[in-house]
Amino acid sequence: MPTELDWSILWSEPYGGWVVDAVLTTLELALLSWAFALIIGTLAGLARESPHLAVRLVATAHVEIFRNIPLLVQLFFIYYVLPRVLPMELRHELFRLGWEMGSAVLTLALYTSAKVAEHVRAGLNAVTRQVKWSALSTGLTWWQAQRYVTAPLVLRIIVPSLTSEFVTVFKSSSLAMTVGVVETSYLTQEIGFQSFHWIEANTLGTAVYLSCAWSVAGLMSIIERRTHVPGLLRRGTGG
Amino acid sequence: MAALFDNLGALSLALLEINLRMTASAIALALPIGCLFAVGRLSRFPLVYYPVTAYVNVLRSSPLLMIMFWAYYTGPMITGHPNSAYVAALVALSAFEVAYFTEIVRAGLQSIPLSQRRAGLATGLTSGQVTRLVTLPQALFRMAPSLLTQSIIAFQDSTIASIIGVPDVFQSTNIINAREQRPIALYSGLAVMYFVLCYLLSRAVRGLEARAQRRIAGGAP
Repeated sequence: MPTELDWSILWSEPYGGWVVDAVLTTLELALLSWAFALIIGTLAGLARESPHLAVRLVATAHVEIFRNIPLLVQLFFIYYVLPRVLPMELRHELFRLGWEMGSAVLTLALYTSAKVAEHVRAGLNAVTRQVKWSALSTGLTWWQAQRYVTAPLVLRIIVPSLTSEFVTVFKSSSLAMTVGVVETSYLTQEIGFQSFHWIEANTLGTAVYLSCAWSVAGLMSIIERRTHVPGLLRRGTGG
Repeated sequence: MAALFDNLGALSLALLEINLRMTASAIALALPIGCLFAVGRLSRFPLVYYPVTAYVNVLRSSPLLMIMFWAYYTGPMITGHPNSAYVAALVALSAFEVAYFTEIVRAGLQSIPLSQRRAGLATGLTSGQVTRLVTLPQALFRMAPSLLTQSIIAFQDSTIASIIGVPDVFQSTNIINAREQRPIALYSGLAVMYFVLCYLLSRAVRGLEARAQRRIAGGAP
C-alpha cells in the first residue's frame, strides 16, 4: 500500500495514455448517446400528443418502461438479452464490432430519450392552444404545424430542462464500465486496483466528470441566452 | 423460466433486505440533513451559504458510482477505517441524495410567500422558530411529490451498489445467471419486478400530487 501521494502516476507510463483514451471514450459515449436521445426523445414527445391512439400508447409505454427500470438493469438486458434473439453469425458480428460500446450507447440513448420526451411534452403543453389552432387555421396540416410552429417554439422553451439531462448523460455513462467499456470510471477502478493509488485515481475520475458537467452547464447557459423566447420569464430576471 | 421462478425467493429477499432497506435508511439520513442544508442554501451568512452550495454543486455533478468509489475504496485509504461494502454504499447514496433533497426543499421554501415569514416574526417567533414551525412544514408538504419521486430514483440507483460488491438484487441476478446461464428469463424477470414496483409507486405519487394541488388551490384565499 502506498504511503505517499504520487500524482505523477496519472500521466506517466503506463497510465498516462490510458487516461486520455478513457476520457475520450467517456466523451464519445455521452455525446453519441445524447445526439440519439435528442432525436428519439423529440419524436417520442411529439408522438405523445399525436391524434392517433396507437401512436400515443407506444410513446407512453416507451416513457414508462425506461423511467421505471434501473439503468443498470436496462444496460444488462440490452447487452445480454438483445443479441440472443439474433442468429449466431450476426451475434458474433455484433460482438466483433464492439457490442460493449454499442449496447451502452443504445441503452443510454433510449433511457435519456424517455426523459427528453417528457420535457418535450411539457413544452408542448406550455405552448397555448391558440398558437396551435392559429397554425392549423392557416391551412397547415397537423404535422406541418408541429414541424414549423410548435416544435421550434417548444425546443426553445425546454432548453433549460434539457441542460440537466445533458449533464445526467455524462454521469450515467459511468455505468458502461459494467459491460466492459473502458471509460473514466473503469480506469479509475483499474488504476486503484493495480497501484493502490486510490486517492489520485478517484480525484482524477471525479475531476473529469465535474469538468464535463460544468462545461455542459456553461455551454448550455450560452445557448439558453441565445434561444430565450422574448416575453417569457427568464432565470435571474426575478418575478 | 424455471431459472427465474426457482430463484424468485432469493431475489425478492435481496431486493427487500438490501435495496429497499438501503434506500429507506438513506432517505431517513438524507432528509433531515437536506432540510438543514436547504435552510443553509438560503442563508445570508457566506460561511454557511458557500460550503453548502459547493457541496450541492459537486455532489449533483458527480456520478453516484464515483461517490461509491470514494466511500468504499478511497475514503478508508484516508481515514484508515475500512467499511463494509453495504455501509459504504449507504453512506454514498445518502450523501448523494442529500444534494437532491436540499435543492427540492429549497425550492419548496422559496415557494412560501414572504408574508408568512414576516407574520411569524411579528408574532414574536425567532427566525429559527419561523422556519421550523411555519415555513419548513409547508415546504415539505408542497414538495412531498418531488421528494417521493426522488426517493423512487434512489431506489433504482441502489442497484449501483452492486458494482462495489454489495449482494443486492442485481448482484444476486448476476450470480444466479453465472450458474444457470439463463439471461433472458433472469434479466427480464428483474426488469419486470422493478417496473411493477416503480410504476405503481410513481402512479401513487401522481395521485398524491393531484390531491395536494387541489388542496393548495382550494385552500388559497
